[in-house]
Amino acid sequence: MLSPVHLKLELAVRGIRVDPALAAQGVLARAPNARDPHSREVEIVLPDNVVAACAMQPEVAAVTSPFALEVKNDQFWLTGAGEEAIKVSILPQPRYYGRETSLGTPMWQVGAVTGNYISIDPAATCGFAIQGVTCAFCTLKPQPAGAAQTLRPVQEVVETVRAAFDEGVAEFVYFNTGYFDAEDGGFSALRPYIEAVKNKFDTLVAVQAHPPADNQWIDRTYAAGVDALCYNVEVYDADLLAHYCKGRTDLVGRNRYFEALAYAAKIFPSGTVWSDLIVGLEPPASTTEGIDALTAAGVLPVLSLFRPLQESALGDYPALKPDEVAPIYAHLYRAVRDAKINVQWMRDLGYAVTPIEARYFAGEDAKFDVAVSSFYKSKIGSRAVRGLSKLRRRLRVKEVRESFDSSKL
Amino acid sequence: MDVIIDTRPLWMVLLSHTGRPIRFAVGILAFYLVATMETPEGLTLEGQRALAVFVLCISYWMLNVLPLMITSLMAIALIPLTGVLTSAETYALFGNSAVFFILGAFILAACLMKSGLSTRLSLVILRRFGDTPRRLLLGTFLLNASMAFFMSEHAVAAMNFPIIAEIVAVLGLRPHRSNFGKALFLAMAWGSTIGGVATLLGGGRAPLALAILEQATGDQPYTFLSWSLYTLPVVAVMLGAGYLVILRWFPIDIESVREAETVLAEKVDALGRLRGDEKGIAIVMISTVTTWVFFGHSLGLANVAIGAIVVLFAVRLVEWRDVEEYVNWGIILMYGGAICLGAALDKSGAALWVAESSLGPWADSPRLIIAAMSGVAWLLTEAMSNSAVVALMMPVGLGIGQDVGFPVAIIAPVVAIPAGLAFAFPIGTPSNAIAYSSGYLRLRDLFVPGMLLGLIAWIVFNLTVNFYWPLLGFSPV
Repeated sequence: MLSPVHLKLELAVRGIRVDPALAAQGVLARAPNARDPHSREVEIVLPDNVVAACAMQPEVAAVTSPFALEVKNDQFWLTGAGEEAIKVSILPQPRYYGRETSLGTPMWQVGAVTGNYISIDPAATCGFAIQGVTCAFCTLKPQPAGAAQTLRPVQEVVETVRAAFDEGVAEFVYFNTGYFDAEDGGFSALRPYIEAVKNKFDTLVAVQAHPPADNQWIDRTYAAGVDALCYNVEVYDADLLAHYCKGRTDLVGRNRYFEALAYAAKIFPSGTVWSDLIVGLEPPASTTEGIDALTAAGVLPVLSLFRPLQESALGDYPALKPDEVAPIYAHLYRAVRDAKINVQWMRDLGYAVTPIEARYFAGEDAKFDVAVSSFYKSKIGSRAVRGLSKLRRRLRVKEVRESFDSSKL
Repeated sequence: MDVIIDTRPLWMVLLSHTGRPIRFAVGILAFYLVATMETPEGLTLEGQRALAVFVLCISYWMLNVLPLMITSLMAIALIPLTGVLTSAETYALFGNSAVFFILGAFILAACLMKSGLSTRLSLVILRRFGDTPRRLLLGTFLLNASMAFFMSEHAVAAMNFPIIAEIVAVLGLRPHRSNFGKALFLAMAWGSTIGGVATLLGGGRAPLALAILEQATGDQPYTFLSWSLYTLPVVAVMLGAGYLVILRWFPIDIESVREAETVLAEKVDALGRLRGDEKGIAIVMISTVTTWVFFGHSLGLANVAIGAIVVLFAVRLVEWRDVEEYVNWGIILMYGGAICLGAALDKSGAALWVAESSLGPWADSPRLIIAAMSGVAWLLTEAMSNSAVVALMMPVGLGIGQDVGFPVAIIAPVVAIPAGLAFAFPIGTPSNAIAYSSGYLRLRDLFVPGMLLGLIAWIVFNLTVNFYWPLLGFSPV
């Protein structure tokens, strides 16, 4: 029988067939959002609490998937993974998706829940789309010339986060900024949202952005209350990165990603600076090199699983073969362990295999890490993590004005 | 306001944070030990208690336990509470003329800044100099130095900082990487620091030293002009040395400053013609400095300053809310407390006792003592507030002067001038802190050339004391 994470990989590649009557209920679909309204995924919780995001119909891969989600006796069962059906649970669509903000925007357009966090896109579109250089795997289309970046009102974000927290479907907030054509990498635009969320909720905030021109903006990002930071390299091979992600190479520069990540890893706590590498878009050896480069800089690699989306330029790209990529995950686990990077922060990601989940591929049980991870997931552990994160920031951040004040006389 | 992230190991950061209560307790323990030890021979009970207050204040000033002015206020309260002086005597010391001279100088500087006259001066001079990188750098350096002759150095740096920041921005100079960017900010910081020691207006150090001297001796041998004459060689040599050190450490790496020229021209044009209030303030300022130079001794520096302020308000060139915004009231409190503490040490005989106990063996080497005192003042001022250095060293220095037998008046410049020459750390002086906050400088950009410059300043100062001051009839031996 496959391990839960091997199964996660299979499900990510092959998708899942859902009983049409069940799919029609709508509540299964977890991740509609403003950036990718076509996405149809169901998030299921496999044994060992492994969260997997699986494509469901009408995604092409799912139509012929050997896996199926069924309901028997009010329980969800996964079939096709062996002779016996596996009991699973689903992370249903939050109820707040049906609500609107006070300004009339559907809340699902403001923030979508994935795993245990609410993902917010303050900008209506990614800056790469505005510049006409979208990534090939993305479903966003280049915007007409002269299009401008528009931002959601902070109030809508706060209302949506509150709705998600009140409903108990999210613990953390994740801001996905996309590319900003600015020296600060979009930090100044994002700052009011971070401050509002930190001011009103006792939560951790993660930011996915693109590197600013100057490292001082990374200091400011940490000081503003960001607990985890991500600059996604996506593809390690320089030529393939330029091919698939022209915006990253032309507007930011590949080296800048690595410089900024290495710097951020020195500023943020271990394991809170990460970068996605897409498994399946480049040869496995190249992804492995990318893992080594990131871990050497103290950055946590997160291996997302490439799934061609029909609306993207890579809609016809061949799907990856789980057997071929499994060794990459084994390498991920060992590289992160050897680099002594904390693996506890990165968890419950449906779209990717986290380093701690990769232990299944390395044949390790990692009992200590698993025990600590379970503690972090508990109520008291979660509170402890938030408290320690605040304490660390309070200790490490110094305002330059302090030294001015101390010498004012 | 910018941030820096302390990336030292967390235990070290934690230790430095938990250090504050420990430092607080260290001061109290030191106070207790000195106050309760057996009174040494030659020291009165009042002197012992004054010494205990002094030790407490020194530890808090040096260890940054409390804001400097709060430590000073604490000293004012402790002096009568410990019975060193009566409450009436202690609080009367706060009314020292130096405090009001400093206050007057601040208000006049506030008028210059509020009216925009000082900014106009900066822009016009920089525009005149700013046609090549080298001239722009020299212009920045000399502009800051010369403005600090008349305004406190940190006010000069704070005022010119936005102008320099805009120049480096339009020139596209990259933080941390551009030599010329670093050089401009250092020229701003070090220019104002060097200029700040040239007159009694460049900062509060010199007036504070003179006030403590006057409290102790009842005499004031310095005039506005004579002080500047004593500092002249140091200022002149350091202006040359500072410029050369900046050029040597940060060779100019750009060809042209045309974009800066354009921006400066636009800014000067935007200012328009000299306004009436600017003319009025300029007239009052020039008249005040002239009066200080020629009649300061007979009329009193503080009286002239207050007279000038009355004129400014009488002709409605300034309003009180403008003054409130610009004056650093904390410094007034700090100086008042430091003067009280100095007087307490002197009147109780504690200062003399410390000098006799510590420097007795070197009593026949006044040059060595001056070299040591000026060296200590310089090194301390790199790490702590220069006013605190004066407050700390003046009372003991006066005791040393009495003990060694050289003219005690010499102690004021021996402490106050080196205490103003902090070049190496952001914490040493606000000018450095402001330059560092630009993001263009790394700590080592300040530290290495800054320590060299400090060393040059210390050598030049001692040469000045030994070879130039005697020409003015002022010799340590």
